[in-house]
Amino acid sequence: MDGDANRSLIAAALARIAAGDQVALQTVYRLTSAKLFAVCLRILGERSAAEDVLQEVYLTVWRKAADFDTDRGSSMTWLIAMTRNRAIDRLRSQGWTRHMEAIDAATDVADPASGADAMLERSQEHRRLQDCIAALAERERAALRGAFFDGNTYEELATRMQVPSGTMKSWIRRAMLKLKTCLEQ
Amino acid sequence: MSDITNHSGAQGDMPDDDMIAAEYALGVLAEPERAATAQRIARDRAFADMVAAWERRLAPWAEAIPALAPNPQLWNRIAQALPVPARQRAGLWRNLSFWRVFALASALAAACLAVFIYFGASGGGTLIATIDGGERRYFVATVDIKRATIAVMPAGFAADASRVPELWLIPPGGKPHALGLLQANRTVTLAVPSDLVGLAVSKATLAVSLEPAGGSPTGKPTGPVIGSGTLATL
Repeated sequence: MDGDANRSLIAAALARIAAGDQVALQTVYRLTSAKLFAVCLRILGERSAAEDVLQEVYLTVWRKAADFDTDRGSSMTWLIAMTRNRAIDRLRSQGWTRHMEAIDAATDVADPASGADAMLERSQEHRRLQDCIAALAERERAALRGAFFDGNTYEELATRMQVPSGTMKSWIRRAMLKLKTCLEQ
Repeated sequence: MSDITNHSGAQGDMPDDDMIAAEYALGVLAEPERAATAQRIARDRAFADMVAAWERRLAPWAEAIPALAPNPQLWNRIAQALPVPARQRAGLWRNLSFWRVFALASALAAACLAVFIYFGASGGGTLIATIDGGERRYFVATVDIKRATIAVMPAGFAADASRVPELWLIPPGGKPHALGLLQANRTVTLAVPSDLVGLAVSKATLAVSLEPAGGSPTGKPTGPVIGSGTLATL
């Protein structure tokens, strides 16, 4: 996807949705549904649950498009955060997750979709974040990945990496601090 | 390495609130902390800004997930669940669906009046709720406490080809209890099970979710909640 061009298309469509334009919602759906569906499916691991959450997301976009605030981030950031939050809320309400296989930090894969072609399409923000994540300790990186992509809680991550949950909390908190510092440089 | 169970000041310069915002944005909080944090975001603008800053930092990571199209039917489902478009509202007086709704609303007003007169005279308890979502009114429900029944009339609910609307009773601060399936084209009268009659009180919530044919297989809402409303004494 051509990031910048798409982002301004999406932002313009969000403004029209706020004015009650249903065609604009379809435009946003066309431009974003494959990305947002992949995010839902990654967290929930099941198509029908992911589609239900995606439906909720677009109905929320319809109602709340006026809340989108360009000062707080791009349209994609707003949509991805909303989608992840809805998917995680759903995980918490069902009380179980499909992602409980053991994580071995040393052999953990770098990225769900790495490879030169994939990397070329990524935005500058993504590459910057990726560099900062690469600078973390292996176990910190693995823990953050389990939280971000699998929607795991501290407790679940502690089980998956076989450490006490207090240790997991300190790993993640330390990693988040490092990430913030690195991104601010 | 020492464990940090209470992170106040333990991580250098980062204030507590910013770490909670980071944990929420990452998605690592379990319930009830997650729900409590979501409530705080809704009422605390400064805290919401911290969460938004973390979401901005983390969101680019989602680009690592390869895009995947959802079921092609999904857009139709979403379009059907949308409130009446603004275009249609603009041409209200020439619009057929407006007159349908108007006729329905008039009939409803008459029915409410009849119920009011009937129960006003007999002293029986009646509760009413409108079940709304977004800007759309989906159903209107009337609870007859004496008979332990609930009558639910469709207002602006459009049938979904693959799923059915299911009605839930949620007492204040409690969990949803299934009451039964609704119809898009006619009023349905459901018996309220005897163990639930006590929960059908003023301020209890009625909600409608979309479920697979035959209703929720789990006894809890599994599909999207399209609308809800609070019961009030008529």
